Amino acid sequence: MIRATILDYGAGNLHSLAKALAMPDVSVHITTDPLSAIDTEVLILPGVGAFTGAAGCLAPARTAIRRALTDGLPCLAICLGMQLLFDASEEGPGAGLGFLAGRVRRLKAALVPHMGWNTLEEPADPLVTGGALETAYYAHSYVCPPADPGVTTAWTMVDGDRFPAIVRRERTVGVQFHPEKSSAPGVSFIHRFLADVAGPRTEVS
Amino acid sequence: MTRTRRVIVCLDADDDRVVKGVQFRALRPIGDPAEMAARYERAGADEIVLLDISASAEGRETRWDTVRRTAEQLFIPLTFGGGVRSVDDVGRALRAGADKVAVNTAAVTRPAVISEAAAWFGAQCIVASIDARRDESAPSGWRVVIHGGRTETPLDVAEWARECVDSGAGEILLTSIDCDGGRSGYDLALTRTVASLVTVPVVASGGAGSADHVCAVLCDGGADAALVAGIVHDGVVTVGSIKAAMAARGLPVRGEIIRGAA
Repeated sequence: MIRATILDYGAGNLHSLAKALAMPDVSVHITTDPLSAIDTEVLILPGVGAFTGAAGCLAPARTAIRRALTDGLPCLAICLGMQLLFDASEEGPGAGLGFLAGRVRRLKAALVPHMGWNTLEEPADPLVTGGALETAYYAHSYVCPPADPGVTTAWTMVDGDRFPAIVRRERTVGVQFHPEKSSAPGVSFIHRFLADVAGPRTEVS
Repeated sequence: MTRTRRVIVCLDADDDRVVKGVQFRALRPIGDPAEMAARYERAGADEIVLLDISASAEGRETRWDTVRRTAEQLFIPLTFGGGVRSVDDVGRALRAGADKVAVNTAAVTRPAVISEAAAWFGAQCIVASIDARRDESAPSGWRVVIHGGRTETPLDVAEWARECVDSGAGEILLTSIDCDGGRSGYDLALTRTVASLVTVPVVASGGAGSADHVCAVLCDGGADAALVAGIVHDGVVTVGSIKAAMAARGLPVRGEIIRGAA
């Protein structure tokens, strides 16, 4: 049994995410306590809310979460969750986890938020190669340019502004899109993450 | 690549049943919201909008259960609207499973609802729902109406749309009361007027009678997305045939759907 824990920042809908994670060998937990959230085999940082509020929720456990991710705790960070992996955001005050170096900036597009389905480009991530996930649902106004371009494993573009669709470091995968809102291919993406990224560690434990 | 253009299926719910009316009147029940939403996801709908249009007070609590049941079935975005009066209501809708919440009458009576909700939940989940009626005395040519079209307001649609976006709305759901249910096409001038003024996506609503009408409002009306209801409920067109018509006009649509429709 894999224990997967969603950290609830108190700002949105976690139903689809919990449902997408709920496989026969996965027990899904939701907590509002950031310190107890890392007492898990897979951490999920969900994608709804605003940066400052969520950063405030993480603050008491900021160092502990960063250390856990650095030590290899598997983590799927979605949209705002991905942005929280970075140092800070133009959206508002508050410290991100600083697990990835970089400052989240506003999307430069004619229409903001970027709301709708968009393609994944130059997919180098094994979770999306081979046409496994070609089009995904996005709903965001900010993007994550990493200081180290090597962490980006897939890209997306809107109106000429190119930004990471997926970033990876250790066993943390950050996605700017919402796999739990990307219909059947998105749910399959989450299942592949659980099997490929989160799986090996839980077999050992 | 660029963002794809969306076809959004709208379910008008009255007391836990999907209903269809003409110009907000003459309602008839046509199905269960959760079942219909799941069917439209399989058919390739990009999003679902669930609007609680029940006028009765007893519908107020069942609606959260309707949202919950519908969200349970979906892995595409769900927008809920109808009777959302406060930031607390926005939170309730999100907790019940909605991804976005449409605010209509409450935004007019208390504009701070939009800014407060956007600050806490993020602009991407706050939709300003605007019902527009043609009115030559309005500066833009359209007046905002509320209470499901029953009450006139002094607000000009264009000015109000801009104010909603300035307050933090991440999307505008723009319904033409004049065209709603008429199936003779969207109000292209209305959609164009608003879309040219704001920098958030505009979802056009009211008047779809064919796939060509959807293409027209996306190509010529400047809408980012089109809402359809009656024409897909009645089987006049399918979501797949709308997507195929869009692709034939050069509009980007979700890749999986193109192959599915081919």
